[in-house]
Amino acid sequence: MDNKKTLIGFLIFIIFLIVFPFMANSRWLAVGTTFIIYSIVALSQDIVLGRAGMFDMGHALFFGLGAYSTAILNTVYNVPVMWTIPVAVLLPMVFGVLLAAPIIHLRGDYLLVTTIGFNIVFEQVLKNNLFGITGGPNGIFGIGVPSIFGFQIMTQQSIYYMSFVVLMLTFFIIRNLETSKIGRALHYLNEDSLAAECVGINTRFYRLYAFGLGAALAGLAGVLFAVQYAAVSPEAFSFIQSVLFFTIVIVGGPSSIPGILIGTFVMFVLPEIFRQFATARYFVFGIAMILTMILRPRGVWPAKFGRIPKYIMKD
Amino acid sequence: MEIFFQQLINGLTIGSIYALVALGYTMVYGVMKLINFAHGDLVALSAYIGLVIMMQLTGASIPNYIVIPAVFIITAIVIAIIGVILERIAYRPLRHAPRLSAVVSALGAGMVIQNGIMLIWGPRPKIYPSDVVPAVYWNIGGVSIGLMQLIILVLSLILMVVLYIFVNKTKIGTAIRASAIDQLAAKLMGIDVNKIIVMIFVIGSSLGSVGGLFIGMYYKGIYFNMGWIYGLNAFVAAIIGGIGNIPGAMLGGMLLGLFNAFIAGYVSTTWADAFTYILLIIILIFRPTGILGERVAEKV
Repeated sequence: MDNKKTLIGFLIFIIFLIVFPFMANSRWLAVGTTFIIYSIVALSQDIVLGRAGMFDMGHALFFGLGAYSTAILNTVYNVPVMWTIPVAVLLPMVFGVLLAAPIIHLRGDYLLVTTIGFNIVFEQVLKNNLFGITGGPNGIFGIGVPSIFGFQIMTQQSIYYMSFVVLMLTFFIIRNLETSKIGRALHYLNEDSLAAECVGINTRFYRLYAFGLGAALAGLAGVLFAVQYAAVSPEAFSFIQSVLFFTIVIVGGPSSIPGILIGTFVMFVLPEIFRQFATARYFVFGIAMILTMILRPRGVWPAKFGRIPKYIMKD
Repeated sequence: MEIFFQQLINGLTIGSIYALVALGYTMVYGVMKLINFAHGDLVALSAYIGLVIMMQLTGASIPNYIVIPAVFIITAIVIAIIGVILERIAYRPLRHAPRLSAVVSALGAGMVIQNGIMLIWGPRPKIYPSDVVPAVYWNIGGVSIGLMQLIILVLSLILMVVLYIFVNKTKIGTAIRASAIDQLAAKLMGIDVNKIIVMIFVIGSSLGSVGGLFIGMYYKGIYFNMGWIYGLNAFVAAIIGGIGNIPGAMLGGMLLGLFNAFIAGYVSTTWADAFTYILLIIILIFRPTGILGERVAEKV
């Protein structure tokens, strides 16, 4: 019964996303595209933070790696945008695993600070124009238009639908993850890592797996970001952005897809709506964050399952 | 060699400021296991409040040697009150919630303070008056030491020694240490843990306010979002020393200050933050709980 409701809710949401471009003007279409891109990043952050339970506060790093891979390959080496996608997915994935490997055993809060550290190092690399390819504080402009089978993804609407396809892919990946052996392993790892290790789950492998998968998805979202704005700059991937992604997951509800979508809406779309109160909006936001946590400490839309996932109980 | 000694002095100065701020993080973490992300913004707020009080007092033609201590004391009281209010509103309701909820609440509190500063004083930097502490410099063999640096070093040292004695020799200090080890057991021994947590916030916030005033008087320019930068550096200092460990925070602050100064002196200033975090990561790889941190059993 409950499952049916969720399914219907999802269908309505997806249909709304499909018809949205026909109702919105260009400004709202841009907001909608941004919403989808940030949702993908937030969902990928949730794989690491919500599902595997690792305190990762540097996720914008992988988002940025993807975006910068596309930007550099496209503008410096003239690689078509579509061909940069494998690099923009694999590079963050490899980095995610390599960076996480030596620190994966750290206790929660230490891991949190270390990931902030990685993000700040990344920011400084971008700003200081390492090897002269990152464009320094101004970033890189003039990223080309992607094309599929000769069709140019140039209009705002086609970029929106391209992002929509990636969001559907993300849903599919997460759905598969939830119902797979890996998803279960991550769930137990999150509940009690010592017990998980005792029943023979290779905690180190699954943690790195979650980091790699989360980073790869964030990198893919980075490509969309580069296409949407045709430019990348260090501010978009600063550690403050990572803090926002972290907040989205906790405020929305860890390992709950509707929660993450609501979180993204609240953190990225509401500021867009309240633009005229520009100076006071983050003041109000802070108060809202505290209130949300006091009233709903498990997030706005918490995940439903208890200690054991429902789909196991059903069988 | 002159550069070496100059950077040594500069590093110790910045290091004492980091250490003062780091103490606030480490004491809150020690008892509540919470990263108080609002602490850095509280430090920034103290720099602004201190400036306001200083302007009021210097306008009233009171001699400087009374103005400065008065500024420190009044600011410390105001910030301590704000710290306690913060605990009451944003942290106490979440004491039994999932740990990350409290972290987000702390982030929200930091956002409120930071943007509150911006709404009240505007986004442009404010400048501290340069004549309150006389700009006296001594030159010893080509190495210059300012009066302000000397005040920072001596006052920080005194505060840290006093805190160390307070925590280790007094009855309240014992209660604080007991609550840090096990809140429930401390409660069973008749310790009012709520009172201890309020105490921690009073001490942490007032030490932070001293740090904030030092930042204002030493660097002159203050800006509304400086809490992030100084707060994170101080937090890294607390982690390097082993978070929850009071001597660790002092050691970590000094080490980080010296490291920053030598990187700035010998390598480059634009890469300073990157080196800070590379140092942090290297230290954590070899000592996962910081330099003075004890090995903690995760589960019994």
